[in-house]
Amino acid sequence: MTTLQLKNIVKRYKTNTVLDNLSLDVADGETLVLFGPSGAGKTVLLRLVAGVIDPDEGQILIGGEDVLDIDAEHRGIGMAFQNFALFPHMSAFDNIASPLTATNATKEAISAGVHKVAKLLKIDHVLSHHPKALSNGQKQRTALARALAGSPPLLLLDDPLRNVDAKLRFEMRLELPRLLAAQGATVVYVTQDYKEAMALGDRIAVMSQGRIRQIGTPQDIYNEPADIEIARLFGDPTINLLDVTPKSGPEGVYVELSNVKVALPGMPAGVAGQTCVIGLRPEAIAFTNAGAPGAIPVKVEAETPLNEKTVTLVLTARGREILVSRPAGTPGPLSGPAHIAVNGQAAFLFDKESGGLIRSAATPMTRNGEAA
Amino acid sequence: METTSTLEKTLRLIALTLVVVFFMFPIFWIFLMSFQTNETILAIPPSVIFTPTLSNYAALITGKLTTAAGTLDIAFMRNLMNSIFLSVTSVAIALVLGVPAAYAFARHKFKGSEDIAFTLLSFRFAPPLLVLLPLTQYFQWLGLSDTYFGLIWVYQLICLPLILWIVRGYFEDISADVEYAYRIAGHSWFATFRKIALPLAGPGIAAAGLLAFIFAWNNFVFALVLASADKQPVTVGALAFVTSSGIQYGQIASAIVLSVTPTLALALYAQRYLVEGLSLGAVKG
Amino acid sequence: MASTATLRKPVSGFRISRKMLPYVLSLPALLVCIGILIPFITAVIYSFQRYRLSQPWARQFNWGENYLNFFTDPAFWNTLKVSLLYAGITVTLELLLGLGIALLLQRRSTVNNFISIMLLLPLMIAPALAALMWKLMTNPSFGILSYLASLIGLHDFRWASSPSTALLTVVLVDIWVYTPFIMILLLAGLRSLPTQPFEAAALDGVPRTFVFFRITLPMLTPYILTATLFRLLDSIQQFDIIYAMTQGGPGNTLTVFQVEAYLNFFQSTNVGRSAALMVILWAITYFLSNIFIKNWLRLRERARGEA
Repeated sequence: MTTLQLKNIVKRYKTNTVLDNLSLDVADGETLVLFGPSGAGKTVLLRLVAGVIDPDEGQILIGGEDVLDIDAEHRGIGMAFQNFALFPHMSAFDNIASPLTATNATKEAISAGVHKVAKLLKIDHVLSHHPKALSNGQKQRTALARALAGSPPLLLLDDPLRNVDAKLRFEMRLELPRLLAAQGATVVYVTQDYKEAMALGDRIAVMSQGRIRQIGTPQDIYNEPADIEIARLFGDPTINLLDVTPKSGPEGVYVELSNVKVALPGMPAGVAGQTCVIGLRPEAIAFTNAGAPGAIPVKVEAETPLNEKTVTLVLTARGREILVSRPAGTPGPLSGPAHIAVNGQAAFLFDKESGGLIRSAATPMTRNGEAA
Repeated sequence: METTSTLEKTLRLIALTLVVVFFMFPIFWIFLMSFQTNETILAIPPSVIFTPTLSNYAALITGKLTTAAGTLDIAFMRNLMNSIFLSVTSVAIALVLGVPAAYAFARHKFKGSEDIAFTLLSFRFAPPLLVLLPLTQYFQWLGLSDTYFGLIWVYQLICLPLILWIVRGYFEDISADVEYAYRIAGHSWFATFRKIALPLAGPGIAAAGLLAFIFAWNNFVFALVLASADKQPVTVGALAFVTSSGIQYGQIASAIVLSVTPTLALALYAQRYLVEGLSLGAVKG
Repeated sequence: MASTATLRKPVSGFRISRKMLPYVLSLPALLVCIGILIPFITAVIYSFQRYRLSQPWARQFNWGENYLNFFTDPAFWNTLKVSLLYAGITVTLELLLGLGIALLLQRRSTVNNFISIMLLLPLMIAPALAALMWKLMTNPSFGILSYLASLIGLHDFRWASSPSTALLTVVLVDIWVYTPFIMILLLAGLRSLPTQPFEAAALDGVPRTFVFFRITLPMLTPYILTATLFRLLDSIQQFDIIYAMTQGGPGNTLTVFQVEAYLNFFQSTNVGRSAALMVILWAITYFLSNIFIKNWLRLRERARGEA
């Protein structure tokens, strides 16, 4: 276990600034997920920490020690790569053994170490195979085993599940937290998959364009996304975002959707008249009857049943698309005209121009989307 | 595409046959000549039916040619040994110098690296006599004119650019992550170079080496200008051979056969890499 | 389990920093090549001198005189003419022939692959030895080609020893040696072309001449350009074949740049003129190689991209 600190890191390629004055603290034993779209600078960040490239400015401290003058091989890091980066001319055994052969370990110790981690990752039966003869899942596990084999105090995992199929990704998402906990290492985990980020991270750092936009626990990010972009990235199905101009009435602030008033309780009157974007998670919208209060007429366009919920795409009178989610198995309209009701308590409000959050949902949601 | 007519097929066949005959016949004919005595060679009309003799090869290998006028010494075996020594040593040195440089150019884009790489490449295209003629004088001053050392040095002009640019391509094809992974696992850059980069670029290095050998072997002008009589390779030696008196045509032919066999054998062995090597890595076969 | 031990620092005091490493790796190769720059500079200096090996006492700078003399020197104009003619004829014929053969062998089949490998053999023979082979075949008393010429009524056809046919003969040898080079590059190019446009054209019943001129040739252009420039660069400096075949003769029929410079240096011992000739040739090849390298790089990036 160790700590990792990045202080004011700048990395440029030619005129392109990839990391822009970025600072980050990772606590001892913590799993920090770096989440963001490709090109955000996540991989570059990992490589800087690993020591295979140098920053243009800033400091990197591992365990409180400045490591910029320390070569990659002396930084005590285990790393797994998105493309696995297995040594194609070596067997899985030799691949996994590579962090151990760099030490003075005896042959027996190396063999024992490899078998231990291989067993943990359930690849002990393919150790003699070369990467070419391994399935994608086995390659991924070999890469992970190699990163873990040296029991490094700091683990860097660069989107290790990116190139495996959905089933495997699901399995590993369940398995990884246990593995990482058993390892006891400090982990920096890069991913573009918000579910992975939510499932694995003690904290999540949301990156884009070389900066950290928001850092916090998964709940923090889901419930209080710093801006529209983050709200859009976290949540499946994606949050509904509608341009609105809140108005102020005797009952408080409200917005009008298809001429139906939706009250936003607890909203300061100051936002009235401001151009805003309302964010409604699909879970915050439900089908209702025509006569019910606040019922908004819509037309059902398409329905997608997912495992635990059913998602319906509806069109408002003005042709705006809205996603509605309900627990699987509950009845709902299949086509034609219907009505929806919006839970104003659970609405986010963002500033249209800056994208910044004006108000988070008054009723926090759990990760599954049910009201707590 | 599938509607090729019989006429077209026949025309293609005729064209291909002509091509094969034009390019293969000289090799075939010289090969035949090398087994003939002067009498059968001079016979008119020429015939492919004759009693083959190994006397031409025997004379070359023993280095003694017995004629009616007496015995003549033939230095051909010496030329052959010179060719082998010059080519092997030049390629070995070029590999030792060129492979690390190729690695540096492929992996570390350092300041001026492209300029240097292109300068080395431009050596391949500069007229050799431009530097060779002044070099004859420098070699005299430096005492290099009668040495293998001087020749091997200028042979680097043929071997180094070739090895540098082909091997560089092979190093570039290795994913940088694979090398990073080995470094991060705790190995020094040198261990990474030795255990990862070298084995993975191995086939390319071997191919570049073979090609460099072929080009060194086939070189003519460097040795013509710089090599003293006893350091001459076969390309220069065989030419001198033609003008020496008393030599029989069959012996010239067998000298040619012996001189081209190593390169042809290597070319066939390395044919998979020839296209890439000939285009200095610009085209993959 | 993971420990919080401090990081392993390098043990030895000697450590090549990451910034220095590439220089250290490439330095030996550079040093070996830098030696070549010295005779290069010497050659340029010589070209501005009046310098004859036979009259070393008279050696002095005459600045541009060697170059200026070329304007009124018929031997120089002959050299320029023969060099350009030689390069022009060989490269044009080799390009046409190479393209034709590549098209014949385009389809991947065992026979075609075998033939394409066989055709590479002339390219792997030392050009000087290839010239010698052809010399044996064109020998007036026993050469098979002289015999074949006599069969079609060309008695006493002198091949390389006659001024009227010497160029033709060396061009023939050049074609024999170097056509495979163009062929193999274009074949690799043809085989790497995407198949969709051709399938689409075949489905639409587009005439094949149209397909060739409007699809095949344009897509093949980078390969053709690279192969042609590559050959042009070599051919304008051809020495081996011409020297081994005729030593520039008969007379001055084949005194191309390098042969003329060689003869100037060793026979007429006119070092200044020889150097000036080489500098001019160098300028020509430098100009060509700049164009070449641009095309070559584009092709190289494409090849690397496919890997």
